[in-house]
Amino acid sequence: MNTLILDGSPRDARGASGRAIASALADEARSRGHAVAAFSLDERTIKPCLGCFACWVKHPGACAIEDDQAPVLEAMARADMQVWITPLTFGGYSQALKKSLDRCLPNILPFFEMRRGEVHHPPRYTRRRRLLVLGTAARPDAEAEAVFHRVVERNALNLDSVGTLSIVVPDGPGDGLMGRVSEFFRAAEEDR
Amino acid sequence: MNALLIIGSPKGRSSVSCALGRALTGRLAALGAVVEEITVAEALRSPEGRERLVRAADGADVVALSLPLYVDQLPAPLIEALELIAAGRRERPAAAPAPGPTGPRIVAIVQCGFWETHQNRPAAEIVRQFAREAGFVWAGGLIMGAGGALAGRSLDKAGGMARNAVRALDLAAASLAAGGLVPDKAVSLMGKPLMPRWLYHLAANWGFKNLIKKNGARGRTYDRPFA
Repeated sequence: MNTLILDGSPRDARGASGRAIASALADEARSRGHAVAAFSLDERTIKPCLGCFACWVKHPGACAIEDDQAPVLEAMARADMQVWITPLTFGGYSQALKKSLDRCLPNILPFFEMRRGEVHHPPRYTRRRRLLVLGTAARPDAEAEAVFHRVVERNALNLDSVGTLSIVVPDGPGDGLMGRVSEFFRAAEEDR
Repeated sequence: MNALLIIGSPKGRSSVSCALGRALTGRLAALGAVVEEITVAEALRSPEGRERLVRAADGADVVALSLPLYVDQLPAPLIEALELIAAGRRERPAAAPAPGPTGPRIVAIVQCGFWETHQNRPAAEIVRQFAREAGFVWAGGLIMGAGGALAGRSLDKAGGMARNAVRALDLAAASLAAGGLVPDKAVSLMGKPLMPRWLYHLAANWGFKNLIKKNGARGRTYDRPFA
């Protein structure tokens, strides 16, 4: 099973919890026999998407920008399970994670299709995939957490994820997190 | 009244977001507001640009944030811009009075290439959360589906399909200029479809096929470089 871990934590002290979670999840996945591709996004040079659509209409499937996003795109195309880690940022994702996700247009097709009653873009790579999104929070904020879970729901629909889990973890040791994650991993493994 | 338009589209002043944002701030200017306009791309290009953005946000009575939906949220550079503004207001508490009916207000204008207006909701909720955390009054979200149909034109040139958006922006501008929030009626009008879904799909799919053909990429449309 191919597992992709995208850590969108900032490089500074604010990202300590996220980095620790990313490392623990990578260890857990490897111990279960997954092939793990892990990226610390804030340490990579990933430029923002220009919205040029060249990846759809000029050289389909390939981004016009040449930078550190290319291996992320390839790992996304091959992933059976994606794990995203981010500090809650106004209820959404960090700029590091978002920059990488914004650059995923090459992995979808430009056309529209109906999915669960709404319009979405079909995937370029038709692998069944699962999505686990972990948000770290410096302090409890019920409104921000509610926004976060709704955003993940929308992402799951857009990605056509076959199984999705979003969890908000208070900054710190992440007590009890691995149990919930293990269950999610097990379901993904049984699905294959 | 000072109004600030922040254009959150990476396409800057040629974007649908700019056209919609200007449609609101143009109305505010006609009602007496002094309007400043900043694109996120320009602001993030230099330390001076960042400082200008933070100062402009601090000095505005109304901030209009106009953006395209990117992967169900805000485009990444706009997140960076909002973090800068929030950090600036935390450092200078005097610039960030507690939210109340007379505080600086923020309105989000969000549009997407999907037909359904509701796909923009999480992005508007993120801006609302930003308002909470940065000490702005949340004035409301004007969200619109099928933004691609406007193709960057000003609303005045978009014809009858933009009539509901025009009325929405008239109502919103009048209320904001009077010190109020975005009325529910404006939100509802802005969310009305610009055209039937079948027609939008037909036009969008034809448009992409045409662009692919023009670029000589027809045989490679479904390429999978990582397969």
